[in-house]
Amino acid sequence: MSSQPDTEHVHDSVAQVDNEIAVGEDLEFQRKWWAFENVVWVVLTLVLLLDLLGAFGRGYLANATLSAKDESVDVRYERIVRFKTPSILTVDLGPTAVREGKIRLWVSESLLTDLGNQRVIPQPLSSVVGDGGTLYTFEATDHPTTVQFALEPSKTGTCKMSLGVRGHELLHMKVFVMP
Amino acid sequence: MYTILHAIVGYFFLLLTVRILSRRPGGQLTLAEFVIVFLIGGVIITATIGDDRSMTNCVCAVITVALLHRLISWLKSRYPTFGAVVDGTPLVLLNKGQWQSEAMRKAHVDERDVMATARTKGLKTFDEIKYAILERNGSISVIKADEKAEG
Repeated sequence: MSSQPDTEHVHDSVAQVDNEIAVGEDLEFQRKWWAFENVVWVVLTLVLLLDLLGAFGRGYLANATLSAKDESVDVRYERIVRFKTPSILTVDLGPTAVREGKIRLWVSESLLTDLGNQRVIPQPLSSVVGDGGTLYTFEATDHPTTVQFALEPSKTGTCKMSLGVRGHELLHMKVFVMP
Repeated sequence: MYTILHAIVGYFFLLLTVRILSRRPGGQLTLAEFVIVFLIGGVIITATIGDDRSMTNCVCAVITVALLHRLISWLKSRYPTFGAVVDGTPLVLLNKGQWQSEAMRKAHVDERDVMATARTKGLKTFDEIKYAILERNGSISVIKADEKAEG
């Protein structure tokens, strides 16, 4: 093993200004970079505007409503939500949803798993797991009535979910979870 | 897993943001620039760590950022063009009594910034400066009119 340190002759590799001072300026590269910077600022501004409009969730473009043709149920939800960020899915139940003083609302399993349902408001009388989802039973003394699901998605990407009142039309929705 | 991915994305996004902000935050920090640096840093930490506040997660995030920094440093030394992309190139701001207006405008540096550095070198007027150079780290070097070099 050599005890001599690695050495190398000094080369005049740094560009000089006026053949006097080694600066390493590259104005041509800088001009390209400044043009690139302008493009990046435009893109970042567009991202902010889209965010204000709700294209990435939590805004006007993200809000969606879906209604059953038989008026049993209306769903207000966000079609674009964010990972691990609370979101509310509201189900407005029409008069036809009430049967014998009770409402039986079925929701697909994806609402509970991928979309991370944290709680149901109000508390259901019972919940039965099966048929790829959960059937909630609520006591209904008056109508119209509202049920809310507090969501906190635990998975990113597109998520399909369905819900509907037992014996009525089933509504199918797609929700995109932003990372 | 998520922490490592978030740290990688956060690192490169922060690098891009700081790079296009102008070179000043690296060198002469004003109070407003201090706010930007701390605020951006705080926001990135939230997204990187998420709701996992364990020591394991923090250690993984720190190691990821350290390795990325090491990789960037190696790439910069190996490929000068990559170094120019990450750090930019020095810019001559003042050349023998001539302000380089394009460079000063694009780098968001004005005469007062140059004179502030000149004063730290004991120079009193612009006439005493031969060259002023905005360095890659954001600092300004001045060279006296009658001498070859002064950092």
